[in-house]
Amino acid sequence: MFMVGITVGAWYFNKPDAPSAEPRRATVLPVPNEMPAFTALTHGGEVVDASTFEGQWDLVFFGFTHCPDICPLTLKLLSDVRTELAAAGAEPLPRIVLVSVDPERDTPEALGEYIRHFGEDNLGITGELGEIRKLTDALGIYFEKVAVAEDTYTVDHSTVVLAVDPDGRLRALFSTPHKVEDMVNDLPIVMAQQ
Amino acid sequence: MMNKNAINSWPAVTARLSTRAVPAFAVLIVALALTACAGHQGPALVAKSVSVTAAMPGRRMQAAYLELENTTRDNIRITHVTSPDFGAVEIHETTTIDGIARMRPLEALDVPPRGSVRLERGGKHLMLMNPVGAPESVTLEFHAGENLMLRIVAPVSSP
Repeated sequence: MFMVGITVGAWYFNKPDAPSAEPRRATVLPVPNEMPAFTALTHGGEVVDASTFEGQWDLVFFGFTHCPDICPLTLKLLSDVRTELAAAGAEPLPRIVLVSVDPERDTPEALGEYIRHFGEDNLGITGELGEIRKLTDALGIYFEKVAVAEDTYTVDHSTVVLAVDPDGRLRALFSTPHKVEDMVNDLPIVMAQQ
Repeated sequence: MMNKNAINSWPAVTARLSTRAVPAFAVLIVALALTACAGHQGPALVAKSVSVTAAMPGRRMQAAYLELENTTRDNIRITHVTSPDFGAVEIHETTTIDGIARMRPLEALDVPPRGSVRLERGGKHLMLMNPVGAPESVTLEFHAGENLMLRIVAPVSSP
């Protein structure tokens, strides 16, 4: 009996094409967290609060439109993830959400023009700095305005991507380095978990 | 030692390089000021894998990525980059440590002897600000102090 158990165990762990039930990269929260209360604006200018995260899966990234490197790179990657999930027949597709960590410069209009470049279904969120802080502080998202010249500044910011479920609860997070193949592998696993 | 007079002592060299972002395009490289030390033959600095992103909607900045190769036995310090197509060009570096992305200007860019330095997404890059019009190709000029070391012309690709 013992040998049978060993044999079955060896087959199970070595069998080819065994489906991966565990995410490669995503950190899944043992207990989903409600998204924190805040009030801001969408890129269309409508008032938005935590309820915007209800009704669909969201991939939430924190960045800013004056960021020439990491932010477009990440948003393009998330767009590619959506494209590959769609090609694989995955349903539903997660929405991409960019929360501005530079609300001073990121007006709804500016954010809308930027976020739509990566997909018409995307959502941009901006607003009063204090309200954005309510969201980021509760989620452990770091951002800080840093002067780089007399009249120019940049914003240091977290690069994590959050996966929020249709009940508006934070379910998983993706840390850098982000890879399309990791997210395409992991998201259906995360989204299938109840 | 850089030979300032060498800037015109080497005939202009052109080369065609494929870019990663737009492989169907070719990048026209015009190399100038091509000797870094007496007796050195050929261009001192060579650009490869050049990619210039288009401006994001509503933004007046673009990024350029490339590899710079130093063919000489001396370190080449790029002190600044200029372009007739932009109001300003800055050398920047993005670092991501412990999940925090930080972008800072660099005072100079060292290309080691017989070595190269890569300007790539998520790392060192050129920030091209305040474009003059909407150029389909851009000229970038790499300087070591008063010496123009390299001039390249590259097409603009998607962001």
